[in-house]
Amino acid sequence: MVAAAERLTRLVDAEDRYDIPARELREAQLEAFNERLQERIGQIKLVAHRAREAGITAVRCFEDVVRLLLPHTAYKSYPESWLMGKRWDRLSKWLDTVSTYRVPVDKVAEADDVDDWIGRLAGEGFLVSCSSGTTGKSAMLVASRRDMEWCKTEAVAAYAWGSGVKPAQDRRIFGMAAVAHVARNLATGEAYVAALQDPSYARFAYPVPPITVGGLTRMVVLRKAIAEGTAKPGDIAAFEEISAARQKAVDEAVGITARAVVEARRSKLHVTGLWAGLHAVASAVREMGYSAKDFHPENSIYVGGGLKRARLPDDYREFVYETFNIRPERNYQNYSMQELHSGMPRCRGGGRYHVPPWVVPLILDKGGDHLLPSVAGEYEGRAAFFDLSLDGRWGGVISGDKISIDFSPCACGNRGPSIRDNIVRYADLEGDDKIGCAGTVDAYVRGVT
Amino acid sequence: MNAVTEVVSAPFFARGELLEGHDVVHRSRDLGVHFAAPRIDLDRVVQPRTEVPPLLDVPLAQIIDFLVETGQRMTDPNNPFMQSCIERMSRTHVLPRRVLESQVRGAAAYLDERLLNTVVERNFPDPKALDEWVPHQDYTGRRSFVRAFAPRLVHVLPGNSPGVAVKSIAQGAMVKAINLFKMSSSDPFTTVAILQTMADIDPRHPIVKSMSAVYWRGGDTSVERALYRPQYFDKIVAWGGGEAINNVVQYLGPGLQLVSFDPKTSISVVGKEAFASDETLHTVVDLASADVMVLNQEACVASRFIYVEGGHDTADRFCARLHERIVERAATSGDARPLDLELREQIESMMLMSDEYRIWGRADGRGCVIRSDEPVEFHPINKTANVVCVASLDEAVKYVNVATQTVGFYPFNRMATYRDRLASGGAQRIVRLGEAGPSTIGNPHDAMYPLHRFVHWMAHEDGRVP
Repeated sequence: MVAAAERLTRLVDAEDRYDIPARELREAQLEAFNERLQERIGQIKLVAHRAREAGITAVRCFEDVVRLLLPHTAYKSYPESWLMGKRWDRLSKWLDTVSTYRVPVDKVAEADDVDDWIGRLAGEGFLVSCSSGTTGKSAMLVASRRDMEWCKTEAVAAYAWGSGVKPAQDRRIFGMAAVAHVARNLATGEAYVAALQDPSYARFAYPVPPITVGGLTRMVVLRKAIAEGTAKPGDIAAFEEISAARQKAVDEAVGITARAVVEARRSKLHVTGLWAGLHAVASAVREMGYSAKDFHPENSIYVGGGLKRARLPDDYREFVYETFNIRPERNYQNYSMQELHSGMPRCRGGGRYHVPPWVVPLILDKGGDHLLPSVAGEYEGRAAFFDLSLDGRWGGVISGDKISIDFSPCACGNRGPSIRDNIVRYADLEGDDKIGCAGTVDAYVRGVT
Repeated sequence: MNAVTEVVSAPFFARGELLEGHDVVHRSRDLGVHFAAPRIDLDRVVQPRTEVPPLLDVPLAQIIDFLVETGQRMTDPNNPFMQSCIERMSRTHVLPRRVLESQVRGAAAYLDERLLNTVVERNFPDPKALDEWVPHQDYTGRRSFVRAFAPRLVHVLPGNSPGVAVKSIAQGAMVKAINLFKMSSSDPFTTVAILQTMADIDPRHPIVKSMSAVYWRGGDTSVERALYRPQYFDKIVAWGGGEAINNVVQYLGPGLQLVSFDPKTSISVVGKEAFASDETLHTVVDLASADVMVLNQEACVASRFIYVEGGHDTADRFCARLHERIVERAATSGDARPLDLELREQIESMMLMSDEYRIWGRADGRGCVIRSDEPVEFHPINKTANVVCVASLDEAVKYVNVATQTVGFYPFNRMATYRDRLASGGAQRIVRLGEAGPSTIGNPHDAMYPLHRFVHWMAHEDGRVP
């Protein structure tokens, strides 16, 4: 008999995967979770520790599952001083505590810098992706080669379902943002190209160098040095110079990209990026005198992430859609997070994010400690998920997101659980009324951008 | 009782009058309890500059008498204002009720005649300047009068220590200021209760007429953009850092200055002498645990990092005993608040890295000690101490930074050797280990004499001696 986790993840190819009511999946999901727990308890140290603390060896209900989830901050729990001090041996040992497979510490400990460390780990089959902590720490998420293969399949499948586009290698992809140069982005990027890109055209190369992990962490490291009082004014000035040079490249990329996209306007396009960049290119295209009427009517779009603190006019979305002639149904949106390897595509009929069968949604109280009782209709709470597809690390994560979920059928007709398009981060909801005389040196570090 | 839906009443106080109302319901940050408050009538909490401050011509001695009487009334068990305050506060505060009660009692102790006089004498070379225009003549023969003139102050109060309310009221009164207290959501009660106690003594007293206390959500631009202007106030006296201060900073400019009591981290430094004998070790650990547990580690003076001179084996003896003492002190005060998710996660992942860290206790809110070779990167709070092994105390000095406030030190005879370097690094106080809490009356706070900075120094030039 095929294991439950295997049965559920195989549904990635099933047409009706979002149409299975949650109650019909319950049993299989619990069984699958137990399978994962039995495999990983001897592999992932942090999970073993958590299970020991909770006194759990097997789960009988979702309440038990909650006690074995890791908060998203678990992947940021390494000391930054190791990153700063290039202590790759220690960082590797830390990574080992959240990794399914044993990290070959000795083979990577001698790395020259963080990019080299990540490169060496990749060579050994440990693919580390970093989140871009804009002011705080970067999460370091380890994954396996198998995970990358999964991401490729899943990303394209979710896109096809959410956008209604049948991948046929008949589009030209225009990436309009510098993507972080991390394993997972590279894998999904590759998959999109294989699925969508018309092979008779070269892929558009966005004219800004990709952001490496070293680039992502440079600011974090500098902040720490400032806090400790070891950063010299020259270090700060040098960093600001690099930032300014990069910003200049980003600014110049707008015109280059706009000209390229106008030239390609008769082809069927797939546009991706972040809102700020897309809006800038759209404005440049309009200034050149082009708009919706000049572009192909079947163009599609995928926008990653939210506004990321960019300031744009209220109608920024419409402006972008109207510029590139994106019809509403070709506007693909997906709810996911770095900690998961599966997305929840937004449906065209109800405008809600749909949870696939291999992702177990667990809605917790605000503190993230308890499973909320499931009720009829929609209710809100802290999002937690167990992604059964994950191989290289634990699939259970408590997010920082506040979501509204409904386990009854969506207006689009699909009967699986779905999430309203009003997701916010708890951190953004908290007031700033928190005043005390006790505090850290963080308050003394003026922003480096 | 349902803490989520219960709404507690939080009236305001405006220049002698109690303002009651349930116009706006606010949420307390820590417990998710709601409290109802009146709408703020901005015009009532600002006194036009065309009117001189009510306290200006009240002699300091009389002000101090009034404060002393207020202190006596505060501790009177029949004082309905304070009783009701403690009752309501215990529902919205992170600290347990017993700790709060003793804090309110302790806070009243600040209202002592000798103490207040000492504070003034230490802050002003000539305290007479508060009461009168003090004549002065320079060596060229120019004459003038100088007055520590009554300022207009907004006090942005912290929420972690009710004692600050008493201190702020007393200090504001002694400099004869017109005071507006912006209360915090975790204590929107104490300040008003004290002012009610004062109004009960004499509702028309100029002190009472000089005080207003209101709450608005920090950062609420509809209030702050209107109020934070030099036409209404001279100084914003603010506690805290991060967003709380960033909010305030944007309103500063010519005529509106900031007097900030910055967010601070306190540490302890323990020399190898602590290990001379088991008995000494026990004594030293007890002192260290007292410093860790000041206000159950909510206060800035509470120690969070303890630099111990010695290797792992030595430090581990210290840690084991320290853990016991923290657990005992936490249990005695009835404090079993759980750690927040992120802190818990940090500590748990450290438990898995036994090469680098050793942990005593668990991340369960009953007390926890972490031993490491470098200070941990999170802010140890809620009964969490980080013992850092250093080869020598010279090494500990490099961890002192601009956020360091109090350094508890053992042995006491090595303190003088280190104080210059500690000050140079940014520290503000060096104390004997175990004495983070008490301070010499009238000593500087946050590297300044605050009262001296509160006042509006005014000169009356009176020409040259004929």
